[in-house]
Amino acid sequence: MDFRLSDEQELLVDTARALFTNECPSTLVRSVGADPAAASALFDRHLRDWVPLAAPPPDGSQVDLSLFLVEAGAAVAPGPFLATAGLFAPLLVAADHDLAQAAVAGQVTGTVALAGADGTWGPDAGRTRTQVIDVHLVDHVAVVTPGPGLVVVAADSLERRDIETLDLARRYSSLELDTPLVAAADALDPAVLDDAIERMALAVAAELVGVARWLVDTSVTYARQRVQFGRPIGSFQAVQHKLVDMALAYEEASAAVAHAAMCLDADDPDRHRAVHVAKASAGRAARRAGRDGMQVHGGIGYTWEHDLHLRLRRAMADDALVGTHEWHLDRLADLLMAPS
Amino acid sequence: MNLGYDPADEAFRDELRAFVDEHAPPEIKQGRDWIGDDEDTDADGIMVIPAWARRWQATLFDHGWMIPGYPPELGGRNATPIQTLIYLEELASRGIPRSVHFGGYAIVGPSLLEFGDEAQKALAPAAIRGDTVWCVGMSEPDAGSDLANLSTRAIDDGDSFIVNGQKVWTSYAVVAEKCFCYVRTDPDVPKHKGISVLIIDLDTPGVQIRPLYHVSHRAEFAEVFFTDVVVPKANLVGALNDGWRITMGALAHERGSLWVEGVMGAQRGIDDLVVLAHARGLADDAVVRRRIAELASQVRALRAMGYKGFSSFAQGSSAPEHSFMKLATSEVRQAIFELAIDLQGAERAVTDPAVAYEGARWQRSWLTSLASTIGGGTSEIQRNVIATRVLGLPRD
Repeated sequence: MDFRLSDEQELLVDTARALFTNECPSTLVRSVGADPAAASALFDRHLRDWVPLAAPPPDGSQVDLSLFLVEAGAAVAPGPFLATAGLFAPLLVAADHDLAQAAVAGQVTGTVALAGADGTWGPDAGRTRTQVIDVHLVDHVAVVTPGPGLVVVAADSLERRDIETLDLARRYSSLELDTPLVAAADALDPAVLDDAIERMALAVAAELVGVARWLVDTSVTYARQRVQFGRPIGSFQAVQHKLVDMALAYEEASAAVAHAAMCLDADDPDRHRAVHVAKASAGRAARRAGRDGMQVHGGIGYTWEHDLHLRLRRAMADDALVGTHEWHLDRLADLLMAPS
Repeated sequence: MNLGYDPADEAFRDELRAFVDEHAPPEIKQGRDWIGDDEDTDADGIMVIPAWARRWQATLFDHGWMIPGYPPELGGRNATPIQTLIYLEELASRGIPRSVHFGGYAIVGPSLLEFGDEAQKALAPAAIRGDTVWCVGMSEPDAGSDLANLSTRAIDDGDSFIVNGQKVWTSYAVVAEKCFCYVRTDPDVPKHKGISVLIIDLDTPGVQIRPLYHVSHRAEFAEVFFTDVVVPKANLVGALNDGWRITMGALAHERGSLWVEGVMGAQRGIDDLVVLAHARGLADDAVVRRRIAELASQVRALRAMGYKGFSSFAQGSSAPEHSFMKLATSEVRQAIFELAIDLQGAERAVTDPAVAYEGARWQRSWLTSLASTIGGGTSEIQRNVIATRVLGLPRD
């Protein structure tokens, strides 16, 4: 198993990191709640060209898309990139939909309406769709209907109810599927849907790894600099051990996401387990990093002004997006416990 | 990034498998988590090295499978780092130990080769083959985590040193012929700078070895007492007062793969937990399923992390991932054994071999696993080291 990045992948990471550092400051992240146009502008100017990373190999790959999404996650990037490249395009490609090529090329944007009323991600019989992200920023919504079926509709044709969440930089909505919409859907092979869900889950997991990395790095840096009792707080064992455990959880998640991405690209039989491990590990790592990172920062980290809470919030929201870590652990248990 | 290995490396694996299938002694209980389960002891619970284990280690050496990265005269076949990884992965996934005593092949042999004079280097092949059994004298009553605080004293007496003091937690001392012993040769300089290494023959007058029973009431450990023990000057390894440099884990080419056994052992533990859950009628219990999945996901993530670190190692860069592996695998293995005990419900404390589940092997493994977060650097010391060396935090 070789985790080395190619020269091109190293360049991809460096370029993405510079891009988000320069073009996605926290002032932008904080502004998009009131000014969605700022998120659209970021996408149109800087991110749309990267959507083709979501293409199936050899044009794109899960590995490359993950590398890019890690950097997006570190910056808490707002806008329709995750919805389009991480959710919409993989579903359309898996379903071989007419719009798949345009989606992968970044010519059209979209999001996915799949989670049921109970918040779980999988074919279900209900007509409520929750956790639909950034409907207000995209051209299309890929709606998974009971059956399952798939219908892609114009985003502005749907009546949506926006739902406030912890995540300040990503808008969540719910939809009620009416009868004509359900009737318009084409049948979707459940196995195809499962494959798409795995790709979607991995995209969110990659974003979570970036969130965790920022929290670990920022907390370590702060602990080196902040002086109390005449010494940096990072010299105290209680603080050191907390940071080590945060870093360990991050390293586990980072490796698990890279491994799952390789498994998906290779169509390896281990890919189902690998994805569940990746999403569960990433959700827990980012939440731990947010919680303990705030503790390491003390009072300053608890302020609205500090950027830490932007990541803490995204960590909690992303942990629920495309399956909570509990949901993924239970799917992993199904695979582990099945009689062999 | 990619998942597989080169055909040449897969051929290496095939050759190893064929060798193991042909030569592995039937006494090795393959595929089991052998923590605390297979280490042989006599009627008093004191460690012995069974004949099959001696034969197996010698067979591995003679066929170049003992330390594959070494040349044939040292029990190897000049294997690449990736082949060494495959070797450790293959043995660990089948639960096959190379040796029942790691001091000689993993610490003493490589250290002699790196730091010894010609006469001392000549001792290495027998140490690696297991013909000479070694122990390593490090810990003392007042030098545990603070190892450099050791006070066993070696005083220059012309042609020899006179050694007085005590070692403790000395693994394999009850079966060893020689001790690779860290002693204080200069008490008047900062503590790291006054330590030397001596080879001490354990049949020298004045050496007393007392088995030290651990919580499983078995004794692989011992206390070793030195009273006016005369050690020839020729037995000094490396330069006088330069012993701190001769550190453990000198198998440089295996350093990138030290995590393999811990992770594979944990993976076998997960597999066995699943079997146990079915056997106890708990396979459909939501809490049990969640707890198994949590541990399984961590083990799988650690496995990915080990390979990720190996990729950096094989490239010649440092691998921060590997600094975490001892800490993480020892803690997750304890959690696996503890869950296995929980799955035995109200019978979890039963160890009577006549009625205990699987002969109480889970209880024994659990007790044994408690050593893994203490020995070889406690988890607290591991965290201190990671904090300062990997995260770059200031020292306490």
